[in-house]
Amino acid sequence: MESVLALGGLVLLRDSVEWEGRSLLKALIKKAALCGEQVHILGCEVSEDEFREGFDSSINSRLIYHDLFRDPLSWSQTGEALPGGPLGALQAMCRRTDPGPFTIALDSLSWLLLHLPCTALCQALCALSHQHSRPGGSCLAEPVRVLGLLHEELHGPGPLGALSSLAQTEVTLSGAMGQASAHILSRRPRQRPALQTQWFSILPDFSLDLQGGPLLESQPHPDPHTAPVDPTAHVTFNLHLSKKEREAKDSLTLPFQFSSEKQQALLRPGPGQATSHIFYEPDAYDDLDQDDPDDDLDV
Amino acid sequence: MAAVATCGTGVGSTGSMVAATSKNNVTSFQRKGPRASGTDSGCSRLVSIAGTRPSVRNGQLLVSTGLPALDQLLGGGLAVGTVLLIEEDKYNIYSSLLFKYFLAEGIINGHTLLVASAKEDPADILQELPAPLLDDNYKKDFDEDVCNHQTPDSNIKMKIAWRYQLLPKIEQSGPVSSSRFGHYYDASKRMPQELIEASKWHGFFFPEKLSSTLNIEPCSLTHGYRKLLQFIQKVIYEEGFDGSNPQKKQKNILRIGIQNLGSTLWGDDICCTENCDNSHSLTKFLYVLRGLLRTSLSACIITMPTHLIQNKAIIARVTNLSDTVVGLESFIGSERETNPLYKDYHGLIHIRQIPRLNNLIYDVSDVKDLAFKLKRKLFTIEWVQDNYLRQERNIYPPGFSYLLKQKDSAWGEGSLQHSTFLMSFLAKATAFASRLVRHSEPLKQTGSGRILQAAGPRLWHDGRRQAAPGLLAVPP
Repeated sequence: MESVLALGGLVLLRDSVEWEGRSLLKALIKKAALCGEQVHILGCEVSEDEFREGFDSSINSRLIYHDLFRDPLSWSQTGEALPGGPLGALQAMCRRTDPGPFTIALDSLSWLLLHLPCTALCQALCALSHQHSRPGGSCLAEPVRVLGLLHEELHGPGPLGALSSLAQTEVTLSGAMGQASAHILSRRPRQRPALQTQWFSILPDFSLDLQGGPLLESQPHPDPHTAPVDPTAHVTFNLHLSKKEREAKDSLTLPFQFSSEKQQALLRPGPGQATSHIFYEPDAYDDLDQDDPDDDLDV
Repeated sequence: MAAVATCGTGVGSTGSMVAATSKNNVTSFQRKGPRASGTDSGCSRLVSIAGTRPSVRNGQLLVSTGLPALDQLLGGGLAVGTVLLIEEDKYNIYSSLLFKYFLAEGIINGHTLLVASAKEDPADILQELPAPLLDDNYKKDFDEDVCNHQTPDSNIKMKIAWRYQLLPKIEQSGPVSSSRFGHYYDASKRMPQELIEASKWHGFFFPEKLSSTLNIEPCSLTHGYRKLLQFIQKVIYEEGFDGSNPQKKQKNILRIGIQNLGSTLWGDDICCTENCDNSHSLTKFLYVLRGLLRTSLSACIITMPTHLIQNKAIIARVTNLSDTVVGLESFIGSERETNPLYKDYHGLIHIRQIPRLNNLIYDVSDVKDLAFKLKRKLFTIEWVQDNYLRQERNIYPPGFSYLLKQKDSAWGEGSLQHSTFLMSFLAKATAFASRLVRHSEPLKQTGSGRILQAAGPRLWHDGRRQAAPGLLAVPP
């Protein structure tokens, strides 16, 4: 789980109805805040009070909350609402000037996907997570982390695929026997993606408790479809020969056994041999009588 | 005489030429041969551009893709003025490697580069190019590698399927010097900084060009594609790759590389929805791009995440609009990873299309099931069946001897039944192998598994028909 926060970039938390992800999101936020980072939260799905519930005051003071839940379409003219709507809020976060490690939590990417065009959202996310390599400016060593909560069931394969290709780490929540597990797929830039499974539970004060697997080992394989395919099964001939059978096979004279020189001559792709050769090896049934059978004719 | 004097490089050479002509002054005709100095291209007759060569089949000018194995499969190289489309693998590891090989080949040959990306800064992409293998010390490592790979198998010559030795192996020649056509690269090392700085390149990073306010213009081409086309056109025109500004310097090739075309970062939503508004944007872009390429000395590589495109009709249109299409399928995370056939390889490579340029026939290779492997330093492409054929000696059933040694057997040597059996047996074995590669499932045997044959005189030997004793075990 530490690797989730160690790598920068976009971290997708994919949850579903059975295994909700907001508590994991809050646990990760708490961990980041305890490390002394700045945490910005864009809250769209739940109210601010409900989100801050469960955090103690020291952490609450470090969270900077941008509220889109109360007034998403900025109907009230009081000026409390964020200018530019959700996209404006995201772009405002891109333009930060203070250095230091930075974590952004998007309370729900699903809400943003439903309200914004997918391409604009992807471009904003890419700009957010690649912020540390600003052209011409100083290269910030600390990565920017964007934690996004995504409800899998709400979207089709298109947006899910597009967001997965952008994400540095994907955490898919599932579970068995009342215990939650996270399948973490982390993509390092030029290496093979690493997949690991971590069982965990979240304590009431939103700290993470990492655990081993459930008591009953129901399925050691994460994917039941990857049964190893054995191409030598269901074969109608014998691939495993005993020693005697092997000797019998080696001593077999093959019917069209060429002499090795003829074989070599045929193997050599001779570029235009001057004369063509006829190789003739007489069979057991061949008659080598030199007489011309036409001589018997009485013509 | 005056012409000779102006084109010579040194006084010495001019003097000798003058002396020679005065000696053999039989006729006033002077042969204009190729000049001694190759640097002044204005006088040379044969304009040869560095890093290109004419195809042996139809004389088309080719550039190398950076991978000599891929060059061989594409019929010698990538033709100048065409598009190479690479369908990305799922995690975009190997396709970005091929992209970098293409650009690295451009730097080694001294071509001009144009790198366009919406995700990474082109300067960062250029920093990560692989280093070329030029020295002979690498040749030793490479030869060792090849020897280790081949020693268990090549000692045992094939007895039955020996004609397969005639099949052309995918050539594995070692690293070569910089004057040859294709080069080898070491993926674990970076290209030296001085080579990158000495090269000429133009970068197009889309997020920079994106205006800060989101104005969606109602035009048929997506904003990103339109800007990219304008940029490419500007570079081609200003640098004279299309012959518009007469080039004082030597002619050169422009290598264009576009990364992740069609992804959401370019502003195109074909990866998000199936019925999108601008579904023709990408196809229009490719059409205009191909028009730009055909009229200039350039070659283009495009990587596209086709596994994300939701509407399959768009993939078919994109394939038709590109010239050469190569698809990569990596085994990471798929069920083929556990298949013992594929244990040495990292993925499959599919050559989906090869263009017919000034030609009536295709130039496809004979082998269809190709797999690639990223070895310690090299990227190799091989025929999957090579692995399978190495086990040929285990395919032939051992109990066959009794069929031949019986005196009155229907299966006597040289008999028709025998040869039919052999041919059908071998055909079955290779069809079996190909089917394995394609579907990862063994061929289901229906029926009793016995080979039916035409009736011959000896089959009715004892009054009733004998079934062909072909196979050992009755399948379950």
